[in-house]
Amino acid sequence: MTAALEPIVGRYVTLEVAGRRCRVYFEEAGQGIPLVCLHTAGADGRQYRHMMCDEAVTSRFRVMAFDLPWHGKSYPPEGWQDEEYRLSTDLYVETVMTFCAALGLERPALIGCSIGGRIVLELAHRHSDRFRALIGVEAADYQEPWYDTSWLHRPDVHGGEVCAALVSGLVAPQSPSLHRHETLWQYMQGGPGVFRGDLYFYRVDGDLRGRLGGIRTDLCPLFLLTGEYDFSCSPQDTLRTAGSIPGAQVSIMREVGHFPMSENPGQFRQYLLPVLDQISAAPVRTQGA
Amino acid sequence: MDTICTDAGGARLARRFVEAVRGYARPRQVDADICFRFGGIPVLVAVRGGQVARAGIVEGPMCSWDFSLSAGAPAWERFWRPFPEAGWHDVFALAKRGEMAIEGNLQPLMANLQYVKDMAALGREAA
Repeated sequence: MTAALEPIVGRYVTLEVAGRRCRVYFEEAGQGIPLVCLHTAGADGRQYRHMMCDEAVTSRFRVMAFDLPWHGKSYPPEGWQDEEYRLSTDLYVETVMTFCAALGLERPALIGCSIGGRIVLELAHRHSDRFRALIGVEAADYQEPWYDTSWLHRPDVHGGEVCAALVSGLVAPQSPSLHRHETLWQYMQGGPGVFRGDLYFYRVDGDLRGRLGGIRTDLCPLFLLTGEYDFSCSPQDTLRTAGSIPGAQVSIMREVGHFPMSENPGQFRQYLLPVLDQISAAPVRTQGA
Repeated sequence: MDTICTDAGGARLARRFVEAVRGYARPRQVDADICFRFGGIPVLVAVRGGQVARAGIVEGPMCSWDFSLSAGAPAWERFWRPFPEAGWHDVFALAKRGEMAIEGNLQPLMANLQYVKDMAALGREAA
């Protein structure tokens, strides 16, 4: 063999979430502090492939990205054909916590983008003692809708194409064409109605305004990174959210949009690596201490 | 620097767009009459079989179209910069900030959204 293999390894694990068995796919690379990665709505863990091939990350972190059930290579739970997919706040939290427990991760760090960023805020609120640090990318307690989600799943519009075309405007114009179109391809590959089902959490069930009191950033540092070209979760949305969380550390990233780790990994790492430096340098606390 | 919104500015942008959009084609079964408004100046683009069949500034009354994208000349100019500023870089970003109206029968728009978005960006200056 002469081809250079990437360090990413993919595995399957079966989780019991909300009383249902879910066969979940995840990829990982690196060694050290566990760093669980949550993808955006309607996409999958491939968004983190660049971080998993970055030695500045993988030399210190065990980077793990799982596809939510219904996404990527994770199947929906049995019986899916008779229901409409809807992600709720409670289901999302349970899925994340179940994955971490199943893999035996001791106070992992966690990074999530978009809906993953929103759930980071909920995790900070509910479970800050269970994480070493939390990183919300394109995260806010709420953001104004900018299109009607009913267009995402209807018989006279191709779901994958319209999902990709809508979010294409959230990619910064400076992002390299290769990475822009890889990011959009993932949206084209999503299952029918899945993006819309994720947005149920984002738009209906997961409005966190006024619900984030008491977050202990002294126990679990909270970092919020938002791209200046994200008009869905805008810098103003993140700054407003951070204003209600004492100790939250915010960076507004130049020349990136809603998918920083996927659309422009070179630019994103300039903002991510200092955060990871802080996390890896922090003294280790045991769970619940 | 913003440009004052006048029909003269709109007419200049409309002419630039008409020039750019002629010959636009993608391998896609798109059939639609699309109206782009630059300030007060409407441009009608007739698409047949994914190809622009006709494009021109609307001169007379009673123009018929399927859907329209309308913005003032300053908004189009900012949208067409080689690297538009954040918030001015996408038609939905413009719509969210109240600088663009997207109207009409939206089904053919949403069924061919990237096609139309790429068409709308044809006036963009080269980087």
